[in-house]
Amino acid sequence: MNIDDPKPTAFALDELNGPERLAIAREVADSPEAQRFVDEIRELARVLKCEYAADAETELPTNLIDIRDDPWFWSIARPLAIAAVIALFAVVAGVTIFSHNRNVTVARFEPIHLPAAVGKSGDVQAELAANEARAESEPQASLGTPASRSLARSKVESYGGIRARSGEFNTAAYDHIVENPFLDAAGNPLSTFSIDVDTASYSNVRRFINDGSLPPKDAVRVEEMINYFTYDYPQPTDEKPFAVHVDVASCPWEAAHRLVRIGLKGREVAADKRGPSNLVFLLDVSGSMEPVERLPLVKQAMRLLVDKLTENDRVAIVVYAGASGLALPSTTGDHKEQILLALENLQAGGSTNGAEGIRLAYKIAADNFIKGGVNRVILATDGDFNVGMTSQGDLIRLIEEKAKTGVFLSVLGVGTDNLKDSTMQKLADKGNGNYAYLDSLDEARKVLVQQMNGTLVTIAKDVKIQVEFNPARVASYRLIGYEKRMLRKEDFSNDKIDAGEIGAGHTVTALYEVVPAGTNANPAASVAPVDPLKYQRVESEETLRTAKRLQPSAEMLTVKLRFKKPDGEKSELIERPLIDEGKDFAKAPADLKFAAAVAEFGMILRDSEFKGTGTLGAVLEWAQEGKDSDANGYRAGFIQLVGKVQILRKG
Amino acid sequence: MSDVGADAESERMQTLMKRFEIPLLQFATRITSDRERAKDVVQETFVKFQRNGALSHEAEPATWLFTVCRNGALNVCRKEKRLMYLDEEMIESREDEQPMPYAQLEQKEAAGFLLRIVGSLPPRQQEVIQLKFQNDLSYQQIAEITKTTANNVGVLIHTALKTLRQRYGHASKDFLPFNPRTT
Repeated sequence: MNIDDPKPTAFALDELNGPERLAIAREVADSPEAQRFVDEIRELARVLKCEYAADAETELPTNLIDIRDDPWFWSIARPLAIAAVIALFAVVAGVTIFSHNRNVTVARFEPIHLPAAVGKSGDVQAELAANEARAESEPQASLGTPASRSLARSKVESYGGIRARSGEFNTAAYDHIVENPFLDAAGNPLSTFSIDVDTASYSNVRRFINDGSLPPKDAVRVEEMINYFTYDYPQPTDEKPFAVHVDVASCPWEAAHRLVRIGLKGREVAADKRGPSNLVFLLDVSGSMEPVERLPLVKQAMRLLVDKLTENDRVAIVVYAGASGLALPSTTGDHKEQILLALENLQAGGSTNGAEGIRLAYKIAADNFIKGGVNRVILATDGDFNVGMTSQGDLIRLIEEKAKTGVFLSVLGVGTDNLKDSTMQKLADKGNGNYAYLDSLDEARKVLVQQMNGTLVTIAKDVKIQVEFNPARVASYRLIGYEKRMLRKEDFSNDKIDAGEIGAGHTVTALYEVVPAGTNANPAASVAPVDPLKYQRVESEETLRTAKRLQPSAEMLTVKLRFKKPDGEKSELIERPLIDEGKDFAKAPADLKFAAAVAEFGMILRDSEFKGTGTLGAVLEWAQEGKDSDANGYRAGFIQLVGKVQILRKG
Repeated sequence: MSDVGADAESERMQTLMKRFEIPLLQFATRITSDRERAKDVVQETFVKFQRNGALSHEAEPATWLFTVCRNGALNVCRKEKRLMYLDEEMIESREDEQPMPYAQLEQKEAAGFLLRIVGSLPPRQQEVIQLKFQNDLSYQQIAEITKTTANNVGVLIHTALKTLRQRYGHASKDFLPFNPRTT
């Protein structure tokens, strides 16, 4: 379906007749994508109509039609004018209210749901059946030839995973997060998720707080807040690309519970050992990028990065706006003047055409591909992608395909008012990349200079974690954050399922709150009871153990990890069991204390039902205890931030 | 004109006014950017409607009303040398002048969110969107009112809806790779 063709829209609005209508009807019947498009247009129309109707209600009639002073009118339409005057009196009170507060009667609408497509496609089917014979003999029938049908189908299959829910109409720039609940360890012994090294949520939250407001709940992704900070985990001592550390202490916000920490540390790669880089910057230079904290910040950030490049590295700059273009052909890192000059000449202006720019950027990355090196497209934008429905599907495919060929994508978000946070996170995920939000030059320095190797050099991909809990030791558990990263248990060993990447020197931290077996669960931590099964008898834990001849193990849980080498297709497995030695939080390592403080801070900002007894004061205390050496001052920044929230809450 | 006829007509006129005065007022306000002037224009429109005796023979008066109202509003602009409404350059600049403030994105679920986005579209797109979705007019009727072709109306509406869908945040939902896997 061509996104610039107005006919599908006209079809959805019942504005087409005859053969044109039939042609689109066939396309819609053949392609779920087209069906979805039509459904969305209709839904949009419905909502628009509702909003217009509600809007008219807020505009109370009518001191407007005061046509009494038209002499001609008096002579011809006296009865009408009298009626109008009566009407005018009837609403005088309303007009007064209205003129003071336009919002008094603004109605609220339910969140939008698409109508089931079944009925409509049914209509279309009927119509098609009725016109089948005629359609076959008409030129428009070519839309439904087997070739084009199978093309449409293969297109759908290629992002089939998305299809299941893509019919939903999003109503928020931040996707709604439903927090992971407590799960009972006997019924759900396996907890599976993909690692996440994104950090954008923390800098975005920080921006809100520094601007004097609390962030919207769904902008707070706890795992991204925890992973914003680097933790001092030892490097791997074996040949593996990363080390896995697991430990446990009491849970500071729920004394009877245990807090399990899983820490990953990617192998450090010294700057001079980094492979040559082939970087293509894809910069949004649309009009909205003009403010100083957008394109100018990106340019400053890039200057920092360019400074670190050598003659082994290549940089190209692609810009996109109304038209996309190559601002700097791929240039080696020793020609700094040339690169900086090209940067200098960039100016914001025009509207956005992201898709075309991305294609060009990937093409240049492919043309200059460095085997065994870093090949990466770095997209910097405030998030206004001007791509239509069809090309968005294509865009995901493109990014996924290119990631498979070894060109990865990183996303740098800037700006405040138009940030499509969830879009960028997902784009980066599809492209085996990372997403960072730049709210300041300091942040740019962190992402592009201090952690340059982590940002640029991927040392393992598709890293998945599966934790098996021992029901003899664990009553229930809850993974803190990672809601968007959950995998099905069978995805763990399925190498076709994509997951997160880990960069050189990166640390990744995940926390579980665990209710030990035999603990009287606090209500928030209790697992919702399920009605008994009708067709199966649920064996008790003891019976099961006897049946399977398992001795009760002293282990609390086992962490299993799967990952692939950056250019590998087959995953490797690492396993780490954990025995709980009953350590108290007061004696926990500084890093664990700090991670707990960040997690609790996130839960407080989300007003989570799982935040337990923790307060901002307690968060400050744990963060202070966990501050450690804090070479870069990030933890001190966190402590300040918590203080600001305390003040905001009081105010 | 008999009294009975006058009564019937006055009743019909009232119904008409009730149905169209707010849409017409909003329509004219957008063109003139001046609510008082817009009131004048709409008032004039209704008066002309009666003078022309359209009341007695026009089955579907929407096209007529919007056409006359639009001409009236454009006349106001011309007379008062306001920015020319249909000036292409201004259409471009208006589009970028009104970015969606963050706070408004937060209120997406509140009523009127889409309408605020509509308010940031180029004027010609706003016009056809209002005629189509507020007043349920066909492409052909809108073409008559705005003095263009039905094809062009189709393109304008298509372009406007495309922008609406994107700004509405639908774009972000489309990049949804893992939610379906949530256990």
